[in-house]
Amino acid sequence: METFELRPVESDGSLAILEVTGYINNEGGEAISREACRLLDQGVRSLLIDLQATRIINSIGISLLLEVLERTLDLGGTLGFCCLSPSIAKTFQIMGLAQYARLFPDRTTALSELRRRS
Amino acid sequence: MTEPTRVRLVLPQVADAELLAARAVQEIGVRLGFARDTLEEVKLAVVEACLNALEHGSGKVEVEVVGHPNGEGSRLEVLVTDHGPGFDLDKVPVPYLEAKLHGNRKRGWGLELMRHLMDRVDVVSEPGFTQVRLLKRRGGQ
Repeated sequence: METFELRPVESDGSLAILEVTGYINNEGGEAISREACRLLDQGVRSLLIDLQATRIINSIGISLLLEVLERTLDLGGTLGFCCLSPSIAKTFQIMGLAQYARLFPDRTTALSELRRRS
Repeated sequence: MTEPTRVRLVLPQVADAELLAARAVQEIGVRLGFARDTLEEVKLAVVEACLNALEHGSGKVEVEVVGHPNGEGSRLEVLVTDHGPGFDLDKVPVPYLEAKLHGNRKRGWGLELMRHLMDRVDVVSEPGFTQVRLLKRRGGQ
């Protein structure tokens, strides 16, 4: 569960999903940031990061996710996260992330909400 | 009450060395009967303490994980020590997301996360010696 992997699993023009596995450290955060920027440059405006297979994240990885959030907001888009482990959900709650990003319990709910808004 | 269990580590200068400390927390925490979610919070906090020590310390970073068995009152204590220049705890700013989003520096969450994820965080710091002590009770928040 600690080896990082990133997989874009779905993109239908304005909405894309990034499926993340493993430890989000500096390298993992940079990989997410690169892929997110590529998708945003292609016109994606609703980006969902699925953390189902991620149990640990560090503050360097978090800071890189904040760059993605800032970029998404600057473009008038929405950044969502789904399937957070309780400890990552608590981390995001401590940071106040729910004020700026959407947090969903599962991917189905997330896609339904994001598609409705896009 | 039985004797505490101790694991001492010197973190190697390799990528993701902080995860070695997290694994020690996992091993001892499971023996103490900590819930999985509670252990994951402790591991996140320990990773942050180790990252700070690896980044700001100099020389070796030492980690001691101590399990204090006492049934429902069992405690996990983690000491992270570095030998860097030290820092003034009162001068560490509290991070605010709004400011971080609009600012250049997005980092600076480590201490804040540790404080919220653990039951207690103590820091002793002077030139050449910084030690962060993290404490979590089995039934803690």
